[in-house]
Amino acid sequence: MTDQDNGYWYLASYPKSGNTWCRVFITELLRLSEEDAEGELNLNQDVETGSIASSRHWLDDQLGINTCDLSFAELDPLRGRAGEKAWLFAEGERFHKVHDAFRSPDSMGRPVVSTSGCKGVVYIMRHPEDVAVSLSHFFSWDLARCVEFLLDPMAGLVMTDRHGGHQVRQYMGRWGQHVISWVDQQQIPVLVMRYEDMLAKGSETFLELAKFLDLPNQPELVNQALENTSIDRLKKLEDQVGGFSEKPEGCERFFRSGRTGEGAEKLSFEQRQKLASSLDVVMKRFDYRGPQDG
Amino acid sequence: MSESNYHKNLYTAFGLQISSDIQLPELRTEVKAEAGPDQVIIAASSRKDWPAINASDHSTPSLQMIPADWRLELEGIGWFRAHEGRFISWQRWDDSVSDRDLRTFLVSSALGALLIQRGFLVLNGTALVKDGKALLLLGSPASGKSTLAWCLHQQGWQLLSSELTVIDEQGMVLPGMQQLKLWYDAAEELMLDWQQLPLVRKALKRYAILPPDLSVVSEPMPLAVIYGLNRREQKDKNKEEVKDKEEGADDPDAICAWQVIRQQVALLQLRNQAFQPRFYRGMGKEQQLFIQAAALVKRVEVHRLALPDGVKLMKKVLKDKSLEDPVSLAPKQSQAESPEEE
Repeated sequence: MTDQDNGYWYLASYPKSGNTWCRVFITELLRLSEEDAEGELNLNQDVETGSIASSRHWLDDQLGINTCDLSFAELDPLRGRAGEKAWLFAEGERFHKVHDAFRSPDSMGRPVVSTSGCKGVVYIMRHPEDVAVSLSHFFSWDLARCVEFLLDPMAGLVMTDRHGGHQVRQYMGRWGQHVISWVDQQQIPVLVMRYEDMLAKGSETFLELAKFLDLPNQPELVNQALENTSIDRLKKLEDQVGGFSEKPEGCERFFRSGRTGEGAEKLSFEQRQKLASSLDVVMKRFDYRGPQDG
Repeated sequence: MSESNYHKNLYTAFGLQISSDIQLPELRTEVKAEAGPDQVIIAASSRKDWPAINASDHSTPSLQMIPADWRLELEGIGWFRAHEGRFISWQRWDDSVSDRDLRTFLVSSALGALLIQRGFLVLNGTALVKDGKALLLLGSPASGKSTLAWCLHQQGWQLLSSELTVIDEQGMVLPGMQQLKLWYDAAEELMLDWQQLPLVRKALKRYAILPPDLSVVSEPMPLAVIYGLNRREQKDKNKEEVKDKEEGADDPDAICAWQVIRQQVALLQLRNQAFQPRFYRGMGKEQQLFIQAAALVKRVEVHRLALPDGVKLMKKVLKDKSLEDPVSLAPKQSQAESPEEE
């Protein structure tokens, strides 16, 4: 096998946009495609689709240093050197979650992820109003703070440099910047998946995903994997394991509602307007409506 | 190497005599160097003089490795080479790079690679000593080893080795790097006068605690117990660990320890906490790691140690506990069951 045959992929998204659903679907699709597949998915044991690109452990291993000894500004330009050998990992571990924007203000114009040997990126996006509501539950923040976060050009995850952690800083920027950074980059092939289409046109959307990722893509298999990973099914699976391991402390459950349109119901008109006025170009491009659009 | 001033600074660590052209205050100063097989030379050298190598499959864009040669390219800092288990060469990236920047990576990645070349068992761990016995805190970077080590230091434990720890075939922990690195938040919460502490590197909010602020041991010490650190907010997916957890395990304010009874699991834990496992693979030393780790788990008990997440809370609960006696840290039910399981 050549490196190319064994390439790796990114599943990139702004947080709370359906990335985990995608990872669970891939895991289930691969599980079902095994000859001896039986039983059902265990959320806390089976969902291992490869390191998140911001994992300190992963970066330490790839760069050969303790990354705590570098500042985030020093680290960002180096992060793109991690991952070229990702194909050495097992089949299921070739799909790397990423919440970073493609580049950061510190990355010296370089991607913060490796593109060498990468076969492509699935960019998962969701209506920013619904992202705000989901962020609110996930981080236990009020909605006003979530709206500000989506509009903050310097927003990111793990921003503090005052203590260590298992992930490094992930610069995201404003929601629209994040989308454009991935969708318009020219270095790796991209498949854009709207969360809304994953819900409304599941079979079609996930079949396209399976084909893009060179995964088993017989329609019946894809539909079975989709059925097994529906939001209701995931909620049940989460109950079975007593809480998904990726759920933060204080967050009641990881798989919560999953539906679309919650933002329009829960955000105030002013909050929706604020989002739309700053994000309108990107929202319109991907057919997301604001409060003025009815 | 001949033009270098490597004899300028003499140190001893990991049972080796280290002659360096760059100051390494993290290591214990030695008065006189003796040339011999245990002498290691750290010196500047132009990377143009480093021979080309046909790097192993485990190499990465930053790391190039063959059995007796290891190279690290760290953009913005420099190039490093460890070879034949005796020499560490370095070249500054440019003149803006300070000695402090270089030595951070010389005494960690480069020295660790050299120790692996020499056939040592090198683990991601910090070792402390009390009453002539050593305990080893195992954990990945940022798992809280140094914070816990500082708390224990305040209870009379002395530092033997930090960050990377070497254990010899007799189960003795060798004195190594003797510095604790604390993040700003930890230093604040431990009420340290961080403004008086040297920075690990200029760009970081991380502080170095060194002797004389740190009480250290300079002789090898027998290893009595190994603790694998578990921070409470980390959810664990390991089946065996979930099974092992008993009453009291979910109390976020408690400090608890569970012995890892199955040697295979203990072995995996040690292997996972080897210092930079990729170095072992890239230099063809993985089998050596397995053999050494297997021998160690037969000799020394491995326990998982769950600690409260907050530094202040950790400090508080440690006051009434003794890490010398892991059984005293077991949750009640587990304490009763352990002997039967054994």
